[in-house]
Amino acid sequence: MIGRKLECIDAGSEYCPCFLAEANECITCSHLQGREFCDCNWRGVCIYQEYVWAGNRKKEVRSSYPATVMEKRDISQNTVVFRLKVTKTLARQLDSPGAYVFMRDKEKPSFFDVPMSVMAVDVAKGEIQVALQVQGAKTKALAEPEKGIVVRGPYWNGILGQRYLKGVKNGNCLVIARGIGQAPAAKVVAYLIRGGNKVRVIVDPGKVGAVFIGDLIKDLPCEVEELDLNSRQGIKVVNRYLKNENHELVFSGGSDKQHLHIIKEIDKLAQKPFIVVTNNNEICCGEGICGSCSTRIDSGVRVKACKVQLDVRRVIERRILNG
Amino acid sequence: MVNIVVIGGGWAGCAAALAAKQAGAQVLLLEKTDMLLGLGNVGGIMRNNGRYTAAEEMINLGAGKLFDITDRAARHTMVEFPGHSHASLYDVTKVEPMVRRLLREMGIEIRLMARAVDVIKKGNSIKGILMADDTVIEGDVFIETTGSTGPMGNCLKYGNGCAMCILRCPSFGPRTSISQRAGVEDILGQRGDECYGAFSGSCKLNKDSLSDEIRERLDRDGVVVLKVPTEDIKMEKLSVKVCQQYAIREYAENVVLLDTGHAKLMTSFYALEDLRKIPGLENARYEDPYSGGKGNSVRYLSMAPRNNSMKVDGLENLLCGGEKSGLFVGHTEAITTGSLAGHNSVRLALGMPLLELPRNLVTGDIIAYANEQIKHKDGLKKRYTFAGAEYFERMKERKMYTIDKKEIERRVSRMDLTDIFNEKLV
Repeated sequence: MIGRKLECIDAGSEYCPCFLAEANECITCSHLQGREFCDCNWRGVCIYQEYVWAGNRKKEVRSSYPATVMEKRDISQNTVVFRLKVTKTLARQLDSPGAYVFMRDKEKPSFFDVPMSVMAVDVAKGEIQVALQVQGAKTKALAEPEKGIVVRGPYWNGILGQRYLKGVKNGNCLVIARGIGQAPAAKVVAYLIRGGNKVRVIVDPGKVGAVFIGDLIKDLPCEVEELDLNSRQGIKVVNRYLKNENHELVFSGGSDKQHLHIIKEIDKLAQKPFIVVTNNNEICCGEGICGSCSTRIDSGVRVKACKVQLDVRRVIERRILNG
Repeated sequence: MVNIVVIGGGWAGCAAALAAKQAGAQVLLLEKTDMLLGLGNVGGIMRNNGRYTAAEEMINLGAGKLFDITDRAARHTMVEFPGHSHASLYDVTKVEPMVRRLLREMGIEIRLMARAVDVIKKGNSIKGILMADDTVIEGDVFIETTGSTGPMGNCLKYGNGCAMCILRCPSFGPRTSISQRAGVEDILGQRGDECYGAFSGSCKLNKDSLSDEIRERLDRDGVVVLKVPTEDIKMEKLSVKVCQQYAIREYAENVVLLDTGHAKLMTSFYALEDLRKIPGLENARYEDPYSGGKGNSVRYLSMAPRNNSMKVDGLENLLCGGEKSGLFVGHTEAITTGSLAGHNSVRLALGMPLLELPRNLVTGDIIAYANEQIKHKDGLKKRYTFAGAEYFERMKERKMYTIDKKEIERRVSRMDLTDIFNEKLV
């Protein structure tokens, strides 16, 4: 095995090939890494062919759109949910688990762009919902937009392990979401149920201080339970479910620490479920260019976490346990 | 129990699987598409020129099952066409199911739409093959017969782009070089202009799209030769071809059609507009590759360094056959190299010395000769086939070319190798 092959979330999309191909830094195609022969991690299309047919250039770049705030709902002291009017096309493109957009106050420069998970989509109306937890300069500015919001997208790598999410059918699944990690979990729950899976949802208000996806999942056939995942009792309940329910897939929406706890519990099980988690890397441009999300994997290779479907276990363990 | 895993279900892979099975192994054959035989689904030419000698040698060596099928599926035998004598043309629409049935009857497990993407290594041996669906297939010895054609990016960079050939990379994913993934660098063939790779040498026309007269002649004689309009004769196109046995003047000045179920057009590609200028081909359309008017698959971009027992250098338990094992052209050559790899896989697993076919058999000689030639720059521009070009000349010079079955039987028996591929080792 020479050189680990990486899985780019954008491969084959209408935004592929991208800037990275032009720079001979393509994540997938060996020709577009400056090598002479094919040795790609096939994603269903030949990226080199697309590149040559596009005139040896990248395809179109994602655009920024002005978005009208249709509704702003305060969830708690530090969290708001926006219902935004975007184009129907963008809404459709964002209608999948792991989708996210960059947002900023229209009056602010582009480096105020902050990535936000899409938690609900209304394709017919061209609307999306995002939940914003105020944490720093960018989110503060965005929470009180002066003259509307600018949205850039679509991006898709908000969840790691998407192929498992798409592959598990008619199984038994556990979804654990804490704090702002509830936002991406809403679409995960709906997606798993569409795949015929039996889904148990555990939500913890976390630092947000409230459960805000209740409305989105209340009509879905799943069991929802509210727990404090930091309490001894909460951990006990989760561990019990993991032990007794024979899950095919476990989703963790929350911090890396939470992911790691779940991975460790799963390691104790005889039948190991697939692990799907929220991508907690610091994402800044979403295009693999700026480098802020760059992460080292076990082989020492640096990867761009905004685009690469990383092996959850390896990246989390490395980051938390080995600094 | 010896577990042999064959990666790639073309002629070489099928031959390897059969030989390993005949030697007593448990055999798993992995194929990325939904059909066995790979490019053998669009080939069809057997027993022409020195291939007759080779086929008879293989039959006497005990590897005759696939030749029995190609003989039985022949639409025409003893066909003469420019530069070639006593050819058999098998029906490409019949042969694949026959091979599939034979392999299954022999107890070989076939996994279709199973694409290998990487290897799991332990030291210098391969522990398992990583599949596209993330599963790992373990085995004692592995045989790589993934060929050297494509995939799309290579056909684009070194050819005219994907011409939609029978390998159907866009549908089933690209070929992976297993040996290269295991850390052994590929050897690359070149063509006259020192560009890498070479075009596949023929395409197929839909027979129903040809004139009644041509179709009738094909059905009756197996071959039709039509004049190319003077303004369209392009001698330079011969240099880009894989099949140097067909890279002769007659093939530039004429269109040679052979009846293999489809009408095999003995040229890499031919612009449809130009083709339709030829009387009788006014309505012609391509059957394989679908875009045969524009290009063809590019080959010889991935060969593994090996010894004459077909073991890949630098790896303890990987053998190779077919185009993966050298600049070979043709089904007979694939079956020859594949059979030896299959037989030797069992010997390797058991710790027995590996078999080398002697150089006074053409089958042994071509394996050794191609291996010598590949080490030289000029050798990388040549192709090795019993059917023509340099190697057939060598066969004739060394008086090895014969179609006398008794003589071939005697040669094999003199080496004490009769039925060796039928010997159960496990």
